Amino acid sequence: MDDFSIEKTQLSGATLASLLHRSSASTADLHGYLFGHVTLTIHNSLSDESTSSATGSSLTATITSFLSLPSHLPLPPPPSHTTTTTSSSSSLLGWFSARRKTVPRPSLKDSITTRTLSSSPSHLFTPKNSSLSLPPSLFLLLTTPIQDKLIHTHEYKAFQYRITDNTFEPKSLSIINVGPIFRSHYESFSPNAPFPLVNCDLRDSNAMVEDEKGESLGALKSGLKDQQQLDMCAEGFEIGRLSKLVGSEATHLTAELEELYHKMLAKIDGLSKLVEQSSAEVLEQENNIMKLRYKVAGLE
Amino acid sequence: MAIDTVPPLIAAQLNYLLSHSPFPIKVEQMWSGCKNPRLLDRFTLVIPFCLDYIKWDVIYNAVYPLAAPDIIFGPEDETFRPYNGYNEAGDSKSSKNCLADWNSKDPSRLLRLIIELRDAYTTYQKKRVGEVDDDRLKFELSTMLSREGIEMCTSSGIDKPEEVRFAVPLLEMDINKLVPGSTWKRLQKIYLQVMFPVGKKSPSAPRLKLVSPAELKALFSIDDFKLPSWLEGMCMAEYLPTLEEMLQAQIIDAVSSIEVRRKFIMVLVPLLGRPLEADPVFCRKATFLACSGVFTFLVHISIPLQFPKQKPALILQSSQHFISHGVPVKSSVLTDYPWSPRWEISEMAGRIFDFLVEECLNFKKYCNESMVLLR
Repeated sequence: MDDFSIEKTQLSGATLASLLHRSSASTADLHGYLFGHVTLTIHNSLSDESTSSATGSSLTATITSFLSLPSHLPLPPPPSHTTTTTSSSSSLLGWFSARRKTVPRPSLKDSITTRTLSSSPSHLFTPKNSSLSLPPSLFLLLTTPIQDKLIHTHEYKAFQYRITDNTFEPKSLSIINVGPIFRSHYESFSPNAPFPLVNCDLRDSNAMVEDEKGESLGALKSGLKDQQQLDMCAEGFEIGRLSKLVGSEATHLTAELEELYHKMLAKIDGLSKLVEQSSAEVLEQENNIMKLRYKVAGLE
Repeated sequence: MAIDTVPPLIAAQLNYLLSHSPFPIKVEQMWSGCKNPRLLDRFTLVIPFCLDYIKWDVIYNAVYPLAAPDIIFGPEDETFRPYNGYNEAGDSKSSKNCLADWNSKDPSRLLRLIIELRDAYTTYQKKRVGEVDDDRLKFELSTMLSREGIEMCTSSGIDKPEEVRFAVPLLEMDINKLVPGSTWKRLQKIYLQVMFPVGKKSPSAPRLKLVSPAELKALFSIDDFKLPSWLEGMCMAEYLPTLEEMLQAQIIDAVSSIEVRRKFIMVLVPLLGRPLEADPVFCRKATFLACSGVFTFLVHISIPLQFPKQKPALILQSSQHFISHGVPVKSSVLTDYPWSPRWEISEMAGRIFDFLVEECLNFKKYCNESMVLLR
């Protein structure tokens, strides 16, 4: 198995904040998977001496999302690589462990889990612009200081597990935030959830419109499918009206757009109400579970 | 406010560990890792290894005490990775470790885990010592490895040179069995600590030190033992037999001197009466009740290991004079009386009695004076 050193590790400020919040809000320790992408950059040393020809390449790992669960539950079998390749922007990079009031050193369990994860051949992934095959070898450790008096409340360390010599190599972790320094990062940003590609015909008013309106079953089906996709973003906005946003009929653009945004907001509002309701139910269930746990642990 | 509590399942495991461990384990600190800071679920264990200690953090989860604990090893043992790579070998026996089928209801589990890990740690250190590039050390290793129970480790700090430490258990005899009725709970074993400086061109003599459990002092003090000198060009295999021979002879002497002390206490009985209290195992201490007229007092006699070469130390304690809080008036340690190791023990007892007859008057006066001072 190839064992490449990851040069840089990046993590967006929002993801880190979310990770820290998740771990401090949980009743106990957490662990979970880290997703993201790895890019290969090739440095050409632009020197006149052609003899040296030092073309170094370095790997940069960017963590974009994570999945967490209480650490007394075993990590589920990681999502198979083949299913995540469709979006190609996120593959399994490694895992994290968040535990309160412990020294920031990999523990016995950490090393066993990391080894198992990075030595399993089914989770090898390939960085965007290369043919390398990398194991998910990143390990992010989040802790809180044992002494209460310290000024900071969290500690984190990133490691890359090197399977060849069975060690954790500390890696620097750079946090991507807003600001001019990070401009390049945002310029290369591509959203993970684009607006669905809906088929709306640009129809010329003078052409043989009537002829083309031969309503085939296939067209009807694809129209329904498109409507469904549109409903995911804006409920009740007809697919036909989308065509008014383009072409010569787009004179009443503002009104139509506003209508579309209103529908979108209504959709989001509905969804957030659903989330609120289900969260309340989850909380109630969690409290019940906690009571039972205390009983089992003999703490009552 | 509620008192800090250890969840019962965790407490059961920890208590079993502390009371059943074959080597003395201590808990250095306990703290909480959950939202309720009253629930203690993390602690540092101080585990003896190679005549030193290793500190391991045991991380339980108070909210889910059914789950197996996690362990964080010391900062200098970052490369110690037990249970790693066993699965790869496909050996089903070795892959079955204590954590694999954890049962939180079984209080002996934590102890088994710690013992298993300590064994793994011993093997790990042995391997590290084997990797040290030093010719003399390689030779010593090949001759000493056959010794049962030998432990070793390498240590290097920023400001001190690298060295290899050995803890060599000495003497095959069981000291616990030599002393009838001994109250020792742990096995009394004497170790030789050997520290080899490594990486130097001309090998210098190792630093040697005897180490024994503190309880052994009641029978034999290793501080009184003079280590045979290390001659240049010597090796451990040469040194150890001489050392063991000398040590064995001295311990047998120490055991037989218990009887001498017992006899001494016996000959005091006709003079001072039956002792109120006496140490029946090592015969190092005896307390008699004595009186002079109406003045009653206690005589504490402590008998040194080198008896009869050294004389016993006496302390008098009044039964009638008390300073504040009911603390009785005591004399200082009295050794200022005639003594000769060549006397018969009956003579020794007689001389002590004669001394006491005189000294008790002084002591009585001293008691009365201290009472006057108090008023």
